[in-house]
Amino acid sequence: MVRRLLAVVAMLLVATPLQAQDDRSPDRALARLLAEARAAGDAGGCTRPDADRLVRVYCAGHIRIGVREFYPLFATRDGGVRDGYEIDVADAIAQRLGVTPEFSRVNAATRIPLLAEDRVDMVIATMGHNTQRDSQVRFIRPHYYESETTVVGPRALKIAGWADIANHTVCATVGNGSNADLVDHDVRLMLFDEAGVLPARLEDETCLLAAQDDSFFAEAFTHPDFAGRFDQKFGFAQVPWGMAVAKSGSDRLARALDLMSQIFHRDGVFLGIARKHRIGTAYLEREQTVWQQPACNNDAGSGNPACVRPALDTELPPTPFVGAVDAFEARFRAFTGIDLALPMLRTAPAWSLLRSGIVNTLILIAGALISTAAFALLLGGALGSRSATLHWLARALTVTLQSSPIVLTLVVASTFAHALFPYSDAVSLGASIVALGMANGSNAGQAISEAMASLRVEGRGEAGLFRRALGRSATQLIAFLVNAAKGTPIASFIGAPELLSALTDITSFSSGRVTTYWLLLIFYTAVIMIVVVLCRRLQAVLEQGTAA
Amino acid sequence: MTGLGEFLPRLLGGMVVNFEIAALALLLGFAVGFLLAALRLYGGALGAMAVPLIALMRAAPTFVVMFFLLNAIPRDAELFGEPFELSGVMTVALSLVPYAAAYVADSGLAALQQMRAGEPLAALLFLPNLMRAFFVMVMSSGAAAAIGVTEGISIILRAAEKAPSFGDRLVLFAVGIVCFGIPLQAGLAVVRLLQRRLGHLLLRTRRAAAEGGG
Repeated sequence: MVRRLLAVVAMLLVATPLQAQDDRSPDRALARLLAEARAAGDAGGCTRPDADRLVRVYCAGHIRIGVREFYPLFATRDGGVRDGYEIDVADAIAQRLGVTPEFSRVNAATRIPLLAEDRVDMVIATMGHNTQRDSQVRFIRPHYYESETTVVGPRALKIAGWADIANHTVCATVGNGSNADLVDHDVRLMLFDEAGVLPARLEDETCLLAAQDDSFFAEAFTHPDFAGRFDQKFGFAQVPWGMAVAKSGSDRLARALDLMSQIFHRDGVFLGIARKHRIGTAYLEREQTVWQQPACNNDAGSGNPACVRPALDTELPPTPFVGAVDAFEARFRAFTGIDLALPMLRTAPAWSLLRSGIVNTLILIAGALISTAAFALLLGGALGSRSATLHWLARALTVTLQSSPIVLTLVVASTFAHALFPYSDAVSLGASIVALGMANGSNAGQAISEAMASLRVEGRGEAGLFRRALGRSATQLIAFLVNAAKGTPIASFIGAPELLSALTDITSFSSGRVTTYWLLLIFYTAVIMIVVVLCRRLQAVLEQGTAA
Repeated sequence: MTGLGEFLPRLLGGMVVNFEIAALALLLGFAVGFLLAALRLYGGALGAMAVPLIALMRAAPTFVVMFFLLNAIPRDAELFGEPFELSGVMTVALSLVPYAAAYVADSGLAALQQMRAGEPLAALLFLPNLMRAFFVMVMSSGAAAAIGVTEGISIILRAAEKAPSFGDRLVLFAVGIVCFGIPLQAGLAVVRLLQRRLGHLLLRTRRAAAEGGG
């Protein structure tokens, strides 16, 4: 009898915490929440204007889900058939809710507005969870997937990380948040509007390397030809993907989805669907381990910072004068009706890029002018020399430089510079200055030597010949000096951090492309016009000197 | 050798695109530039307006104009109600138009003035100048590599990126310079020959006119 009593007491002692723990399970919390929502609907909640979307879902008997229609492996539509990881996740959610899914097409631009306009109840649409979007929609935690930006290139190309990628051109898409990381690592960007063209541009060799979401490239790598030629070099900028609901009127629906997402991770539902669609599962495997731990596997898990991943912080620090920029843009819009956007003045990184771009451009122009003048004098003197060796050496160099397109001359100079020195902005600027100087100086030098030859034919004697030749060829010398200054933006091709390069970088991760390129064109045209005026003064000095 | 055997035909094919770009730019530049030259010749308010316009075109850097065209034209732009999108080749050709137009306006004005002065042979010197501008633009069109157009320079650079050694890369660059250099130097030689022939012809005509008049 005593033993039986002790056994009952012991069972009670053990069972009480188990019962308490069971009460706090996400499954129990979800069941309670769904039962309450059903009851609220049955009790006339369907007609209440302030009814939560979860109640309205039960009233309608279906849930409206925004999904993509052309994102291979994740969400595609072929006629009436939808397929992909996100479609199966949506089906699993609807099944758990006990309603039918009603799909609507969304894309990157419409997925948030459609939620705000109450045209869908939730979206599962490859949406990265970042701090900027946190103010627009309510993200479901834990996240249902994670992607990263991956760098893809030919298998033969040895690239293992950032150190190997500096000074390479990488194809990317405009507005991609990870472009800022690429720019920070001295990568040159070739920008495209749509990610869809990247695999084809890799295959036709327009792009040597391309950077985009690994989820995007997942489909390309299912094709044996593509997978045989290319591989993923390395990944960066991991972004958690979140389902989302509207910020207002969706508290219960969001809570239900939070709990469901927890359970799906814990029970391997997400993982099973991912395996079925052959997408990357590393993140889902890690998450399953997390959500099976007692500390996370409870009804407060989705709010526990130790269990859920934070949103990607994409907020760039603003400049101290961003308020004045806002006011100026608004005044300009009111006055002219034109939407002026000045992204280069709004964030600290963009402002820093702009300042260094302007300084580097002015250094480059001054350097190109000096270098052109120096090479012109050197080659002019050598070409006009009576020494046959010197003359023919200079002649060979001049013909070679004249025969090389300026882009090729820049690339050759850059190749030599980087073979001799480690990559840096200063080395790129230096190589550009030398290349522009040699290309334009060779032509100007030839003009000087031709002037020397004509003076000799006229029998004016050797005294002061070079100085008089300079005066006679002043027009050509000035033309090539102006040409050197005009050619400086092309230095961005080899990574010189001048203004064109800086603004291209800024617009790759911000808006305002049209305004930015207008300002760029105005800046360069104005600077070149100033150079023209200064060069004409120099021409007058040279010609006066000869006349005297 | 096998590598070069594959590379050379591709390079020559790419260079055809460079010539296409230059021809397009010259055609468009000629139309704009000759109109500006005519406006300057006839003077008046329109002639006065042409002067700063030509100065602006002369100062606009081709590479910046190319990126401007690429980025400043809205993606949903329409022309005569039809969707309007510039191809890569057309973008590069249009970026060379300010240079071509300013060049044609300057040398075209001189030619028109000579025509007006009754010296048609002197005015014909305009033709070799056009040819010189064409070759300058063939060389400048290599900037197209920066926006992904497959032309001669981009083919050289793609091959160089894959070249196993520094020496191989330099060989590819040298082949590129020779391939671009031959038509350039030949073209410039033709320009010089034309100028010399025209110059001699002009001199003879003037002498004959002077002797006839005397």
